[in-house]
Amino acid sequence: MLRYLVAQSGDEIFRRRALLKTIQRSGRLAFTLVEHAFDHAFGPRINPFYHLGALSFFFFWVVTASGIYLFIFFETSIEGAYRSVEYLTHEQWYLGSVARSLHRYASDAMVIVVLLHLAREFVLDRYRGVRWYAWITGVLLLWFLYASGIGGYWLVWDRLAQYIAVVTAEWFDWLPIFGEPMARNFLNNAAVSDRFFSLLSFLHIGIPLFLLLGMWIHILRISVAKTNPPRAIMIGTLLALTVLSALYPALSQGPADLDTVVSVVRPDWFYLALYPLIDVWSPGVAWGIAGGGTLLLMILPWLPRRREAAAAVVSLPNCNGCGRCFADCPYSAVIMLPRTDGLPYDSQASVNPDLCTACGICVGACPTATPFRRKTELIAGIDMPLLAIRTIREKTLTATTKLEGQDRVLVYGCQPGIDLTGLAQKGVGVLTLPCVAALTPSFIDFVITRHHADGVMLVGCAAGDCYHRLGVDWTEQRLAGQRDPYLRGRVPRERIATAWVAPSGAKRLTQALDAFRSRLRDMGPYQKGGSLPPPSASPSSNHGEVSDAAYRLG
Amino acid sequence: MLKKIMRYSGQGLFYGLFVSVIGYFSVAPAYVHFPADQALIKVSFSHAGQPLEECRVRTAEELEKLPPNMRVPVVCGRERSPVKFELELDGELLYRAELPPAGLSRDGASTVYQRFAVPAGRYRLRTRLNDSVRVPDFNYTQETDVTVVPGQVFVVDFNAHTGGFVFK
Amino acid sequence: MPLIAWDDRFSVGVTAVDHEHRELIGLVNETHERLKRPGADITVSNFLGEIYTRISAHFALEEKLMRASRYEHFSEHKADHEQLLDDIRDIMDDYEDRQVFDEERFAQRLATWFSDHFRTHDARLHHKLG
Repeated sequence: MLRYLVAQSGDEIFRRRALLKTIQRSGRLAFTLVEHAFDHAFGPRINPFYHLGALSFFFFWVVTASGIYLFIFFETSIEGAYRSVEYLTHEQWYLGSVARSLHRYASDAMVIVVLLHLAREFVLDRYRGVRWYAWITGVLLLWFLYASGIGGYWLVWDRLAQYIAVVTAEWFDWLPIFGEPMARNFLNNAAVSDRFFSLLSFLHIGIPLFLLLGMWIHILRISVAKTNPPRAIMIGTLLALTVLSALYPALSQGPADLDTVVSVVRPDWFYLALYPLIDVWSPGVAWGIAGGGTLLLMILPWLPRRREAAAAVVSLPNCNGCGRCFADCPYSAVIMLPRTDGLPYDSQASVNPDLCTACGICVGACPTATPFRRKTELIAGIDMPLLAIRTIREKTLTATTKLEGQDRVLVYGCQPGIDLTGLAQKGVGVLTLPCVAALTPSFIDFVITRHHADGVMLVGCAAGDCYHRLGVDWTEQRLAGQRDPYLRGRVPRERIATAWVAPSGAKRLTQALDAFRSRLRDMGPYQKGGSLPPPSASPSSNHGEVSDAAYRLG
Repeated sequence: MLKKIMRYSGQGLFYGLFVSVIGYFSVAPAYVHFPADQALIKVSFSHAGQPLEECRVRTAEELEKLPPNMRVPVVCGRERSPVKFELELDGELLYRAELPPAGLSRDGASTVYQRFAVPAGRYRLRTRLNDSVRVPDFNYTQETDVTVVPGQVFVVDFNAHTGGFVFK
Repeated sequence: MPLIAWDDRFSVGVTAVDHEHRELIGLVNETHERLKRPGADITVSNFLGEIYTRISAHFALEEKLMRASRYEHFSEHKADHEQLLDDIRDIMDDYEDRQVFDEERFAQRLATWFSDHFRTHDARLHHKLG
């Protein structure tokens, strides 16, 4: 009986999982199609779809700045609220109206990018396992976002605000928590007091502040969080929203009058989509949707649980506390602790398995993760149990020994990125890593200067969209001599190609590989001393610049 | 050069689409929350029912037993009666309820908030309320002719201090 | 007779750094020893690889300390590190690809590679690292 039940629940989980996977796959396809179009217009580095979280922050700042300006002129009284907003909108049409409209439209924009961000992270399966934290905090933040927006509309005290006030109060009254129904405050004009109004004003500053606090908490567990979108996108969206504000200013819908019922209302559907449902169905159903929806979203990371690949492991005899893994980890999973093994170093690296996604970028940063045969065992100071450098070395040799010709290429790709099986052909070896930045530059040195292949191609996710956030940036900077560990200057850059492609880029990738191999044929075999001058070894603060690999796609 | 123009046009197109969606859905489509030709009667009051038991005077012995700072001569029970309420329009019963007192000890006020959409026009309105189980029938009654215009909010309130129902 | 003898001028005043310097000198000396023995090929390769790994880690640590102390000559020192790593890779590749092998020249190259840097850049670090 127990076995039967377990089997049934297993089936249930399997079916549920299959359903989720179908949703994810179709969602991923939808995003890929749209992002492809945007990649053509914006290019993969500034494609807004790869910066949705940062855009949310940006719109928040626009809303805050415009809100501060509005606050200067806003009067917190029943009479004064509507009047002061009308003054801003009509008398100050050149500035106050723009500020008001920006305030409204930027907050609508924030809802759009936040929901897209949520959908995208779901579709890319970046919400389970270690990343449950960001997911859960994000879902909770939605309530603060909506409360902020709805509260803002309330303050205008026009007919829309009246509608919102009455319906919100009646919605909350469904919960058995109030001694006296909240809706009594909006019975008629006599019932509303200026003081309640001041409370609303206070809430509309307080709740957004909590939203901001929540946003900070939301990004705590990732390193170097991007909270600013690319400058071009900031300018573009701000300009577009300002033009909209100038041409189509936000208007109030007539003063509130609680002695008359609101008949027709023009709601802001971004924030108020649920409100008509409260009328059409019932407050209870609306709570079911809102509350139930939130709960469902929140348990998603455990439907099913994700068993993360084994976390990175530190080998103390090989770790001197240089801190490069700590600097490179995208998930703040590596910290430096005081030494425990008695060696005369100050610190040692330590991995928190609860935060490690097994991306391997730490190994790519470790100076001891070199493939050159050595006296001691081939273990790096920080290594991945499932794909140790020992294994990467073996696979590198296996992939290259049978290659023949003068255009042999070893392709290192990444598991979340484009599928590489289509590239395997005569003269091309393929090896997949958890992330392209899991590869120490010394492996590239090893392959080229020890004649294992004529060229190395690194294939990763689209430039702005590394699945592990920083892999593409770190790889480019290591190749360009801007981030440790630098690729040795003596390695000829014309024998290195980088290809940062979205899943839709298979054809371009094949073309790039063919072109690369053609140039390699022209070059002839590697000869020591025939390389270009090494790049400047001085640390540069130019982040995000392209690598100086000769062949760059994306 | 052409490529650049194409790129910027593409970007402009997407920005335009983005703000158009925002501009449109921030105020449209309109939604009819309440029919334009009807009026709204809101019944809402907060009234504490009478205590279930009569207040009584403590005897001398009872007072002796109490500590000196707690010798209150008159004691009333905490629990209150539920409030019975009826609303009739033109002789037809529109709403009837027995409103329990709020709170764990059932000693708070009884509250009600109900909305009724009615066609605009003239009605005979009768409201009745009973706030004590010890009184057999309704101890507050009011009847009046009322005319409501479309969109009007007509409030039925109750305030014991002013003597009964308040119509606004 | 060791190829490089420890000199107090090699000390930088930081325990960790000096510890690694001693280790590296030991490795270089041992490499030199093994050159003369039979079956040297693989062993010397292994030793060179070990030196490369250890010195990469050592430079990483030194750079971390220099950055933390805002050492004024950081750029030059780092540039020298990068050059040295290129040089040791050259030495490794020359050994792998050798047609003819000149022991003494090789040994001298290794020793110079090591002590030149010590005498100049590392000596300047003395007492500069927090």
